Amino acid sequence: MAHHDDQDLLPTPGQRVGTFLKRKDVSQTFVLGIFFTAVFVVLGLWVYPHWMPNVMSKEMQGNEDIMIWFTVISAPIAGVVLAIAMESFINMHRGDTPPPEDGPGIKTHGPVVVIWSAVSVLFTIVAIVWGITEMNTWSSDALAGSNNALVVDVTGSQWNWSFNYPAQGITSHELNLPINQPVEFRVISADVNHSFWPVQLGVKVDANRLSTTIARTTPDKLGVFDVKCAELCGLNHAYMETSGHVESVADFNSWVSQAKATGGTQQ
Amino acid sequence: MTTLSHKPASARPIPNPERSLITRLNMGSGTVVGILFAVITYYLLRHHFGSPWRVNHGMDMTNTHFVNVTILCTMFAWSFGFLVGIGALIGPFRWLIGKDLTAEEQLYLAGDGQGIKRYFKYCTDHKVVGIQYLVGVMAMLGVGGTMAMMIRTNLATPGSHFIAPIIYNSLVGLHGITMIIAMIIVSTGPFGNYIMPIMIGAADMAFPRLNALSWWVLFTAIPVLCSAWFLGGIPTGWTAYAPLSDQAGPGMNAFLATIIIFAVSTAVAGMNITTTVVAMRAKGMKWNRVPIFVVGATISVALAIPAFPTFMVAMIQTGLDRTISTGFYDANVGGSGWLYANLFWIMGHPEVYVILIPGVAALMEIAPVFVRKPLFSYGAAIAGFAGIAGLSVLVWAHHMYMSGWMPSLNGPFMITTEFISVPTGLLFLVLVGTLWRGKPWMKMPMLSVYAFIWDFLIGGITGIYLSDVPADNYLHGSMFVTAHFHYTLMGAALTGAIGALAFWFPKMTGRMLNDRASYISFWLIQIGFNVLFLGMFMAGAAGQPRRVADYAQAFAHANLISTIGAYSVGLGMIVLLWAIIHSWRSGIIAPMNPWGSKTLEWTVPYPVPLVNFDEPPVVTSDPYNYGRSAK
Ligand SMILES: [Cu+2]
Repeated sequence: MAHHDDQDLLPTPGQRVGTFLKRKDVSQTFVLGIFFTAVFVVLGLWVYPHWMPNVMSKEMQGNEDIMIWFTVISAPIAGVVLAIAMESFINMHRGDTPPPEDGPGIKTHGPVVVIWSAVSVLFTIVAIVWGITEMNTWSSDALAGSNNALVVDVTGSQWNWSFNYPAQGITSHELNLPINQPVEFRVISADVNHSFWPVQLGVKVDANRLSTTIARTTPDKLGVFDVKCAELCGLNHAYMETSGHVESVADFNSWVSQAKATGGTQQ
Repeated sequence: MTTLSHKPASARPIPNPERSLITRLNMGSGTVVGILFAVITYYLLRHHFGSPWRVNHGMDMTNTHFVNVTILCTMFAWSFGFLVGIGALIGPFRWLIGKDLTAEEQLYLAGDGQGIKRYFKYCTDHKVVGIQYLVGVMAMLGVGGTMAMMIRTNLATPGSHFIAPIIYNSLVGLHGITMIIAMIIVSTGPFGNYIMPIMIGAADMAFPRLNALSWWVLFTAIPVLCSAWFLGGIPTGWTAYAPLSDQAGPGMNAFLATIIIFAVSTAVAGMNITTTVVAMRAKGMKWNRVPIFVVGATISVALAIPAFPTFMVAMIQTGLDRTISTGFYDANVGGSGWLYANLFWIMGHPEVYVILIPGVAALMEIAPVFVRKPLFSYGAAIAGFAGIAGLSVLVWAHHMYMSGWMPSLNGPFMITTEFISVPTGLLFLVLVGTLWRGKPWMKMPMLSVYAFIWDFLIGGITGIYLSDVPADNYLHGSMFVTAHFHYTLMGAALTGAIGALAFWFPKMTGRMLNDRASYISFWLIQIGFNVLFLGMFMAGAAGQPRRVADYAQAFAHANLISTIGAYSVGLGMIVLLWAIIHSWRSGIIAPMNPWGSKTLEWTVPYPVPLVNFDEPPVVTSDPYNYGRSAK
């Protein structure tokens, strides 16, 4: 190991870097780093599309992409950390007495601290810019769709959801939505806090007493989605769920007229 | 560092101030007086305000309101009575009549030579308080862990009904608050009290009587919290969101009384630890020579000093809502649940760093000793802790992105939250920098450093998704959040505390922690932990809300994986408990400095003398001057 310390005596930075890269522990750490980075990239790309449910709106796609790509861009940082940790782990000293010899007396290393901090600032800025861009996309989509949005008044109460369609004049415990039409959920609670979560639509907002909160999305796939409560609301919180349907416009319209025919309330 | 000579503690005569009341007070007298106060208060108030056994506590809020007065006053009377009975107020009372404790009485309170009895008394010796905290924390972790096992058992399969939803909800809340309290004190309680004063070369804490007070005040909260079970439980989870907490039955009073009492305890402990570190460091221990655990523990408690009063205020307002219908959180009369959420999270986010920082700091203390290298970039470590502490008071509303409170502030809060990555990154740099080119001596404390790095990495990366507003639309309130914060609080902070226990066990008990049993427990806990929360990440990503007593078939596999992991953690904890008890009673006798560390606590013998050092030590360098060619 002693020759490692000699690098400090080498004349030019170029030579010092050259010697550094030729060291066995450095090359091993490098290989480990590539390996761990690859593991995290593969995990990011594979895990979330497999774990997360059907994507039924642009917002849901946005959420899934953030989870995938934040993992991928974190991968090199995780790779470096795990590689250095693993390299030292492999070199462990075992036994009942302390190692006979101390390691190198490195107290700090200015350039490393600066580079590390700069990289984490850069990483943070990328994450922030990504998040803000996504938020802007959501709000400009919502603004663009606000003219022809279907309004649904959602009321959470212990322990069920009810949906009122003011323009259509119907109230229902079923949530049916026409495909590709922007929808605006106006959410309120009849009692304690709930959180309205149409899972596969990728949006969520709390239901508060006497204050209306708003969530907007545009369902773009036909099918069934889950509606859940995401805020602990007492005894039957776990059972405060129902299913919703994204339907063709024709199906939606016929459901509306059927509901109206039965007196405007559909259970 | 100086060499010390010392006389054995037993050579000192046992002080016995004759006819002083102090000699007759202990936990027993505290309990008797506490119960007496509680019973008297209960009977005085019962006729006026009713008793929990006399009214129908259903959903009718007005009916239960006055009962809450009786219950809350009874609880506070117990707490106050216990402190009177154990003698905590004798000193202040003497001041009122213009006197103080005699020197003899003060020496008696320090408990020297009183053997095991001093652990059950109002004892001012910081080492006794440290052991009291250690045993107390282990008991809390045991109870909280048992509740976790019951929760996971219920969730092993969908529709199991092993536990009724009403009990399940209470379990979730009481598991949460028990663990939060235990984790807040898990490092600063035992090690901050026992080890830290010795580490800085002090004879005791700055305020020894307040030190004893902080422990015994906390102790009185334990029966109060347990009483929640006999008063119908708490339906709200540990976050105690309003207006659900206004609506909740009498058990909720136990929760809020616990928090108010606990906040007093943390304030007292926080002031005491900060003052000690600022004012009582050994000669020559300049700020850049303070061991990193001391820095971390100080920053942690200093962060707690402003944080917990807001929780206390939030709970006082809940109490007022529940007793005299002030309606702070009741929208029907102009209040707002968002007021509660803000107060709660202004405490709640700093609080996770109050928990995390001492655990990380302990591992930073451990790593240089076992790697035989200086701590890499002491300055970066302090910048990391200070940066986290500073930013942590500006991020609270990231818990409220989806609450509807102020959607326009989501962007700013996302920015402050994401920036926590930068100081957090420094903590990783310090640890991996210390490992770099090292050949670590692989003992239990060092294993914890590795487990921490892995667990905190996963906790950190998943935290980046959660801090992102759009992704939080999906993740908020899901099992994903639960898995994330367990990675940080348990995987990181508890792993740090277990490492710290293995590290300082020889100094606190005079014996070595059994290697084989602690390795077995380590792997059972760590593998189990990662399986447990891998399953929970799966369930959360698939869309399972948190705090549910039951779930859809779609989440069955993920939950089963989780429960299997949980049992492995449980088994590992039992093995660890066995290792601790067995080693404490009959482990190998520890040498004075088994790890070859350079901090001051390893220069004193076991048992540590009453005033720690016979001669005040003088510090001439930082404690990390390991290494060849150290500059
Ligand atoms: Cu609900």
